[in-house]
Amino acid sequence: MQTTLTNPLAIYLAVLAGAFGLWCLMPKPRHHRPLLGGLFAAGALGIAWLVMYETLDFADLGLSVTAFVYYYVFSAIAIGSAIMVIIATKPVHSALWFVMVVLASAGLFLVLSAEFMAFAMVIIYAGAILVTYMFVIMLAASAGGPNDPGEDEVFDVQAREPGAAVFAGLLMLAVLLTLSFDASNRPNPLAASPPDREVIAEILPNRTADVVRGRIEAEIARLDPTASPVIAQADPDRLSNVEKVGLDLFQSHPLGIELAGIVLLVALIGAVVIAKTRVEDHPEPRPSGAAHPAGHDAPETQGLS
Amino acid sequence: MIDAAPTSLAPLLAVSLSDAALGHFQATAAVLFCLGLVGFVTRRNLIVMFLCTEMMFQGVAISLIAFSAYHGNVTGQTFVIFVLTIAAAEAALALGLVVMLFRRRRTLDAEAWAQLHD
Repeated sequence: MQTTLTNPLAIYLAVLAGAFGLWCLMPKPRHHRPLLGGLFAAGALGIAWLVMYETLDFADLGLSVTAFVYYYVFSAIAIGSAIMVIIATKPVHSALWFVMVVLASAGLFLVLSAEFMAFAMVIIYAGAILVTYMFVIMLAASAGGPNDPGEDEVFDVQAREPGAAVFAGLLMLAVLLTLSFDASNRPNPLAASPPDREVIAEILPNRTADVVRGRIEAEIARLDPTASPVIAQADPDRLSNVEKVGLDLFQSHPLGIELAGIVLLVALIGAVVIAKTRVEDHPEPRPSGAAHPAGHDAPETQGLS
Repeated sequence: MIDAAPTSLAPLLAVSLSDAALGHFQATAAVLFCLGLVGFVTRRNLIVMFLCTEMMFQGVAISLIAFSAYHGNVTGQTFVIFVLTIAAAEAALALGLVVMLFRRRRTLDAEAWAQLHD
C-alpha cells in the first residue's frame, strides 16, 4: 500500500494557494477580495484532497467507504466554518461559526466511532462554553464604530499583520502535512490492547456475554423481536464506546481525574475572585483613535454584578 | 438470530484506521489548528482571539481521536476529556479577565494593552 505522496510539491502548491486565498479573505482596508479568496481557498482544499486521494486504498481503509464520504463532508464544513470564524468582522458571527466548527468536528468523531466524545463535545463546547462566550460578547458590547453604533469596530475590520501571519500559519501547515504523510509510512504498531472479551471477563462480571445475551433474550421475549431490530443486533461480546472510555478513564487515570477536579475548582475560585475584583475605571482616551462618548466613568462600571 | 446479526455489523464497528485514512484526519486537524493560529495572530478583538484558541483545541482533539482509532485503544479519547476540562477552565478564567480588561479601557482591542507598564 502506498502511503507517501508521489508528488509532495503539489500539496505545497495547494498550501500556497490556500495562503493567498486566506490573505485575500482577511478583513483589511486594501486588497480585500472575498470572492477571489474564497475561490482560492476552496480550490486549494480540493487540490490537496485530490493529491491525498491517491494514497487511499479503499480495500483496506479501516473504515467503511460510506463513513469516509462523511469525512469529506464534515471536514469541508469544519474548514469552511473555521475560515469564517477568523474573517467575520462581528464577534457574534465568529462565535456562531465556531458552533459550526464544533458540530462538524463532532461529526468527524462519529465517523471515527468516538460517540461519547462527539456528544460530550457538542454538550460542553456548543452548549456551555459558547453560551459563556455569548454572555461575554453581550456584557462587553462596545459602542460600535466611531460614528454609527451599528458599524463594525475599527479593530475588527483591520487585521494585524495579515501577510506575515498567513505565511507563518500556512508554513506550519505544510510542515505538519509533510510529517503526517511521512510519519505514517511505518507499520501500525497496533495496540497491545486486550480484546473486549477478556476485559469483560476480567473486570465486568455483570456484563459477560451470557448475562447480556440473557438480558437481550428476555427483552426480545417481552417485545416483538421483529419490531425492534436494534435489540436484536446488539453485540454482547463488544464493549460500547462509552464503556471503553469509562474503563480507561477510571482504571488508568484515576489521579488525572482528581487533578482535573482540582483544576476546575481552582478555575472556579479564580473566576469568583476575578468577578469580585473592583476595577477602577481609567477614563483614558481610546488608543485606537475611535472616540468614545465622554463620561463613561459612571458608577455602574464598578464591580461585575 | 442473535448470533447471526453481529457479523454484519462488525465491519462498521471495528475502526482501526489505515495509514492513509489517518493522514486525512491529521490533515484536517492540522488545517483547523493552523487556522486557529492565524486567527489568534491576526485578530485584534480579545474575544475572537480566545475563540481561535478554542479552535486550536478542536484541531488537537480531532488529531487525538484519529490516533486513538488508529491504535485501536481509547487513550486518545480519554486524553480529549482532560483537554476539554482544561479548555472549560481556561474559557471561564479568560472570559472573566476579558470582562475585567474591557471595564478598564472600554474597548476589546488587544492593542490597547500593548504597553504593559500600566
